[in-house]
Amino acid sequence: MVVDHETPSLENGQTDKEVEENANVLQFMDSMDAYLTLIHSLSSTLRRGWLELASARHSMGASRVNTVLLDHTSHPAATSLLVTQDEGKVDSGKPHFTLCKWASSSNENSLLGEKHSSQDKLHPQLRHRGSTELYEEKTSSENKASREVDDPVQKERSKSLSMFGTLVSPKLRAAQLSFEH
Amino acid sequence: MYGFEAMTFNIHGGYLEAIVRGHRAGLLTAADYNNLCQCETLDDMKMHLSATEYGPYLQNEPSPLHTTTIVEKCTLKLVDEYKHMLCQATEPLSTFLEYITYGHMIDNVVLIVTGTLHERDVQELLEKCHPLGMFDSIATLAVAQNMRELYRLVLVDTPLAPYFSECITSEDLDDMNIEIMRNTLYKAYLEDFYKFCQKLGGATAEIMSDLLAFEADRRAVNITINSIGTELTRDDRRKLYSNFGLLYPYGHEELAVCEDIDQVRGAMEKYPPYQSIFSKLSYGESQMLDKAFYEEEVKRLCLAFEQQFHYGVFFAYMRLREQEIRNLMWISECVAQNQKSRVHDSVVFIF
Repeated sequence: MVVDHETPSLENGQTDKEVEENANVLQFMDSMDAYLTLIHSLSSTLRRGWLELASARHSMGASRVNTVLLDHTSHPAATSLLVTQDEGKVDSGKPHFTLCKWASSSNENSLLGEKHSSQDKLHPQLRHRGSTELYEEKTSSENKASREVDDPVQKERSKSLSMFGTLVSPKLRAAQLSFEH
Repeated sequence: MYGFEAMTFNIHGGYLEAIVRGHRAGLLTAADYNNLCQCETLDDMKMHLSATEYGPYLQNEPSPLHTTTIVEKCTLKLVDEYKHMLCQATEPLSTFLEYITYGHMIDNVVLIVTGTLHERDVQELLEKCHPLGMFDSIATLAVAQNMRELYRLVLVDTPLAPYFSECITSEDLDDMNIEIMRNTLYKAYLEDFYKFCQKLGGATAEIMSDLLAFEADRRAVNITINSIGTELTRDDRRKLYSNFGLLYPYGHEELAVCEDIDQVRGAMEKYPPYQSIFSKLSYGESQMLDKAFYEEEVKRLCLAFEQQFHYGVFFAYMRLREQEIRNLMWISECVAQNQKSRVHDSVVFIF
């Protein structure tokens, strides 16, 4: 009997390669399931948003909510994706993704969900455990930053709705939130 | 002299009152709305509407229909009926009928100015203007840089000229100033219309006072709710409220300081006619407020037809048709978006 040492067999007869392939397939199926769930959630949120927009049009009137008032000047998207890599490790292969909401070109500090400090601009921070002092400083600065960014975020939201007027119906604001989500 | 309109009204107004009462009979009924709410597509809606007075206006529209097409054609019918009544009317009815359209004129002015501020083409803006609010020099509005120029170049020769005295400044036209201009103009228009109806006297004054007071109060509530969380100060908010109505002046003082919907409810529930409106809403909710106000308005407009020999029937008919067009707009949106379960959220039955 010839024993093949290059492909060691396991108890259930599967090779390492097959086990890895099965794991990849399972991971793919999980990712696909998550993707389909997200697609469904996106679809229902968009449906809600479109109906709320129609409701806002019904409430405010067709002269105040119509396609002709949409702003044709360039403006940033409500949500942008910042991709950074650790400058210290070029070959790290793992980019750092950060979602930024309502990032205004005139106000770089109005970023929601981003770890913000003066050091981060120069050295994108990897997730790591720091000292207690650093953690407390970061927590208090993050809390302060989250309160500070609420007002700029709200201002950006109001600014994007300003094409329909300053005093808009709460239904239009609800539609904006649905599309933002 | 109130009570003696029966002796003289029909000399000049009898024919047109008969015409408007005939038009009123053509408003869609609950059965029509039930059929429309069960439509699967906009073409089904067109088929059902072909059996109503809207039939001739929709029959030549090609498929696939769009929701805006249905609204445009239904509005065209209203415009045709209005123009027919206007050309047959004598004074003071002709002035009364013109007053009904000034609100649309204000909306069109603001639409052109806002669209120009956002660099939109003037022709596209003109296509979206309400036909009842059109006037000859409306396209020239795009040239104005501030309110003084707006008045001097264009509006001085329009019926809106007297309403501009309170908002003429040299400030540039930005979003906030345009919004304040819109509401200031509308406030001046409502007050002027109210005074005109008071001058007419009789049943017209009595019925129109009630309808216009309700309109002023509803605008005060909407301004309050829409300005919560915005940069509009309390003083500026108070200045936008009309100087008449059930809420004037004490209700306005309370509304001016409201910071959320529950405070608005607290201010409004002191007035019995509005207590019934807010009783339909749960605490913290404002989504159904529009429908509650529309229902109350429709009730009052229908009551206007119970009495004869006054001009209120013309105002009531125009508003009921506009409500009907809003209903059709909502039903068509729900059908187009396959959201028929939500169709009764905003439909207000007239009969």
